Amino acid sequence: MTYSSTLALGRQQNLSRGQNSVPFLRSADKRLGPVSNTVVLIVLACLLGLLYLTQVTRTNSYGYQINGLKQQQSQLQQQHQDLSVASAREQSVDRAASSAQAQAMTPVVPSGSVR
Amino acid sequence: MNSMDQQLATRPANYVQRARVWYALLVLVFGVFVIRIFYLQVIRYDYYKKAAQSDQLKQYVIPAARGVITAHLGDGAVPIVLNQKLYTLYADPTIVKQPEQAAAKLQPIIGGNVDDIAAQLKGKDTRYTVLKKRLTPAQNKKVLGYKLPGIGTEEQDYRTYPQGQMAAQVLGFVNDNGEGEYGIEQALNKQLAGTSGQLKAVTDINGVPLAASPDNISVAPVNGNSVGLTINVGMQLGLEKILKAAQDQNKSKDVSAVVMDVHTGRVLAMANYPTFDPANYQNVSDPSVFSNDTVTNPIEPGSVTKLFTTATALQKGVITPTTSFYDPGSWTVDGTKVSDVEEDHSTGQQTILSTLDKSLNTGATWMLMQMGGGQIDAQARNTLYDYFNNHFMLGRATGIQQGNGEEADGILPGPKDTGSGINLTYANVSFGQAYTATALQMVTGLSSILNGGTYYQPSLVDTVTAADGTITKIAPKVAAQSVISGQVSQDIISLMEQNNTNHIHEGFGYLDFGPNYSVGGKTGTAEIANPLGGYYPDKVNGTYLGFVGGDSPQYAIAVYNLEPTKYSGFAGAGTGQPVFANIAHMLVNDFGVTPKS
Repeated sequence: MTYSSTLALGRQQNLSRGQNSVPFLRSADKRLGPVSNTVVLIVLACLLGLLYLTQVTRTNSYGYQINGLKQQQSQLQQQHQDLSVASAREQSVDRAASSAQAQAMTPVVPSGSVR
Repeated sequence: MNSMDQQLATRPANYVQRARVWYALLVLVFGVFVIRIFYLQVIRYDYYKKAAQSDQLKQYVIPAARGVITAHLGDGAVPIVLNQKLYTLYADPTIVKQPEQAAAKLQPIIGGNVDDIAAQLKGKDTRYTVLKKRLTPAQNKKVLGYKLPGIGTEEQDYRTYPQGQMAAQVLGFVNDNGEGEYGIEQALNKQLAGTSGQLKAVTDINGVPLAASPDNISVAPVNGNSVGLTINVGMQLGLEKILKAAQDQNKSKDVSAVVMDVHTGRVLAMANYPTFDPANYQNVSDPSVFSNDTVTNPIEPGSVTKLFTTATALQKGVITPTTSFYDPGSWTVDGTKVSDVEEDHSTGQQTILSTLDKSLNTGATWMLMQMGGGQIDAQARNTLYDYFNNHFMLGRATGIQQGNGEEADGILPGPKDTGSGINLTYANVSFGQAYTATALQMVTGLSSILNGGTYYQPSLVDTVTAADGTITKIAPKVAAQSVISGQVSQDIISLMEQNNTNHIHEGFGYLDFGPNYSVGGKTGTAEIANPLGGYYPDKVNGTYLGFVGGDSPQYAIAVYNLEPTKYSGFAGAGTGQPVFANIAHMLVNDFGVTPKS
């Protein structure tokens, strides 16, 4: 005999003439049973797990974004470094002295000292 | 009886028993799983955690960028040492396929011999062989474009020098391990290098850090400080050209010179020739060329020392600028005759100026004798030693930012009489022999005389810029004050100017700077000690100490021309003096020497 049929028999035995057949439900009767409790807990745990996983996945996807940005930053820094080197080389005194403009200049005798 | 009870009643009797058996079996299997999981996850927790982390947790060192080095150019500063990423080409010969074909593809990019490259690619006794270092980004791209199996490149920071070889010995270089060697790079290695960072993170299969791990550690690197030098790029390049021309002309072993700001002790130009290319230091066959001789190579400086002897005698009040004395042609000291280079007979009545002009050893010895009341004794020795060592700091390392213990002290014999002819030694010291000093010591000592008596510790560093951009200006450091009086300073300046004027009249027209500028100096021709005893009969060094300015001296200059073989007259006037004159003209013409008001 199942738990529910036992409960049904018990109710029949307690009924008497003229008595309201609708059972009066006490607050204790609103409690979930142990199976329902377990199911609810499992569902909650699953939901929490799911929530955790979605958050971890999202955070990790941010990690990839961060990594991508860092790589971009690194590439830009590298470009900056290369350009700084190129700029410094272009401005070097030897290069300026051997440039076409410098070659086209007319030398003058310095007036500051006598040679 | 409901339908369920009827169904139960119709089932075989062993149904419940079989169900219980299966149930027990399931419980057993489940129990085994639980126990196994408990064993793996609880009892062996540490072991498996470590095993997992070793696979997933990656550690990276994030290198700090080495600070750049700048120098003055015009009103601003320009970088003279920068960082550049270059690539090391390597191969794992165990993976390389078709080495001959791979070598043929690589050779046009990296140079060298195809057979040699192929031989490297065939060597099976190693899994890592370097084919070429310092590949440019373009070369790297080409090599990687071939996608050759077993061949790859590694990125590495290298120093690059936009001004080429300029100030190579002052700068030093950075070796393949990232450590500074020689010069500024070694002296300030710790500051320039910075501190590496660290990244410890759980990564995915591609090594990309996953953000959601409590085990992740990220420490950012602290980049090295950038250093601004006191060096003036234009002046340095000009000086280097002058030294190279002098070396070519005089066929010298080495020519060195220093230009110093008289009023701060800052080194504005400092060079030696021969020099080297710091970008290709690994190709240098003679490592002695790495040394900055102006601070590492003390020599007996010769007659330029007479300026310091004269300053000492003037300061002690035993002579005046106009004092005259009788020169007997030689003095006998400790039983040995001390005479002049040119004359071995009496030159008659001489003055302090003629002592400098004719560079009389007897005159310098006479001044030393005056410090002892007419003879070279303990008082004379103590006085000369005190001024040379404690006032002008000769024979003492200056503490300039060069190398790690690279700077030499030089030797100044102590004044104590140990019975080995100390008086003769000091007679020699008075005219520049029997002691050694570097060009930097000489020019710094001279600066202290020229600026009125303040000895500034010589410095090559003007500013230090931290990684966060904070700029620290390095103020001139006074090492000693009142090393001589203002009056003695003026007397020495005047004597040096007059000496220069006399030389113009003696035929050295290139020393003429016109009436608007104040120029003075003193030559030195120094004998070179033979390690086997005595002095070489056929080798000398030509030296010069001088200044350029207007109302007051602005730049002090020291020139060391070592072992010249092609010159006329004495080495000081024949090799040191022309180099000084060329430097002085460059300063007057191009570097804002303020004319007399």
